[in-house]
Amino acid sequence: MAAPTSTVTMPQKTEDVHGAQHGHPPHLQHHFVSSEQQFDAAKMGMWLFLLTEILLFSGMFVAYTVYRVWHPEVFADAANLLNWQWGAFNTLVLLSSSFTVVLAIHFAQKNDKKKLVAMLVSTFLLACVFLVVKYIEYTAKFEHGIFAGRAYNPDVEYLLHYVDDPTNLLSPFAAQFFSIYFVMTGIHGVHVLIGMGLFAWMTKRALNDEFSSEYYTPVEIAGLYWHLVDIIWIFLFPLLYLM
Amino acid sequence: MQIRRGADAPFSLRHTSMSHHEEGHHGHHIIPFKTLAAVFGALVFLTLLTVFLAKFFHFGALEVPIAIAIASVKAGLVVSIFMGLKYDNKVNTLAFSIGSLFVIVFLSITLLDTAFRGDATNVDPLTIMETEMQAERLEGREPDPADLRIAPGDYAGDAEADATTDAEVAPEPETVSGEAPASDE
Repeated sequence: MAAPTSTVTMPQKTEDVHGAQHGHPPHLQHHFVSSEQQFDAAKMGMWLFLLTEILLFSGMFVAYTVYRVWHPEVFADAANLLNWQWGAFNTLVLLSSSFTVVLAIHFAQKNDKKKLVAMLVSTFLLACVFLVVKYIEYTAKFEHGIFAGRAYNPDVEYLLHYVDDPTNLLSPFAAQFFSIYFVMTGIHGVHVLIGMGLFAWMTKRALNDEFSSEYYTPVEIAGLYWHLVDIIWIFLFPLLYLM
Repeated sequence: MQIRRGADAPFSLRHTSMSHHEEGHHGHHIIPFKTLAAVFGALVFLTLLTVFLAKFFHFGALEVPIAIAIASVKAGLVVSIFMGLKYDNKVNTLAFSIGSLFVIVFLSITLLDTAFRGDATNVDPLTIMETEMQAERLEGREPDPADLRIAPGDYAGDAEADATTDAEVAPEPETVSGEAPASDE
């Protein structure tokens, strides 16, 4: 689409790395030999960042595992308080948004701007749906005194809807479960929020004709980020809601 | 892209797209729509499967490993196809594998401590956790201390307490006084 034509070209010198007698696409920075190299470098940088993201979440997964191994019966009762239907629904929402992201890249590669924009907007909207559901879930818990850490002060009537004997859920280990739940899903939710910002920005840039089959690196990178957010949820959902 | 050198725009445009198709297979692999849709379908199926297995079956100790195995397959699909590691430069796969490896190291070495805490100096053939579980089971079978009183001396401390509870709990003192003479012999 917006294939860069060499209308404005700097006077080329003989030692120019781009080759003789022609300009370079506007997106290509001077320290890269080719668009291909620039694309690969950006992607590798993103993978290194994702590695740190994996390690950030792994700390919380380890905390979850340690406390679960110590108090399996309390964790089982506490997990039962979470609404697995909402959790499963949100899993499907995030999977769909991952699908719309790969389609966005697919259509960028095919120079189909209209569908690229449609997919980016869909991703943004699916992220909104995810956070709305999370808001519903959080407020449903807050209403009954289920908070993280010391603030955990559940309403016994409410607990009796789920279990016959609320002893486990009144123990301090139940508060541990909910601390882990709120912190993990909270940090994951912040990632979703950042992702929404990224996709709003990508949509704006796509509308400005900045992307084409020649250059769609930002969409690809935002996509990698979004898929990681999806993968974290793929593990969070069964461990927190189903076990 | 290096081939683009035409002077007139239409020619260079056409040439660009051609050169892309010829050279584009290094980093810009276009994954067919069908593949993407199939992966999405598989992810939805696996999500429903994990919910179904967790909610309608009871695998006991295997429940968590099964859920983690399904989640890992899902993550594998996302990483290899959606994130394109399958088609990518292998250095990205290396970055991801190192990350996963470190998570496994982190988790297993932490569990070596927390799951077996105190066992290194424990001379009992059972692990600390097994001993605790056994104690818990025994505690569950243990009778109420009130039922174990035999000598009058055992009731000595209860005199004031009984006096206060007598009014509220009527049948209790009866059974106590009924047992007391029998145990006196």
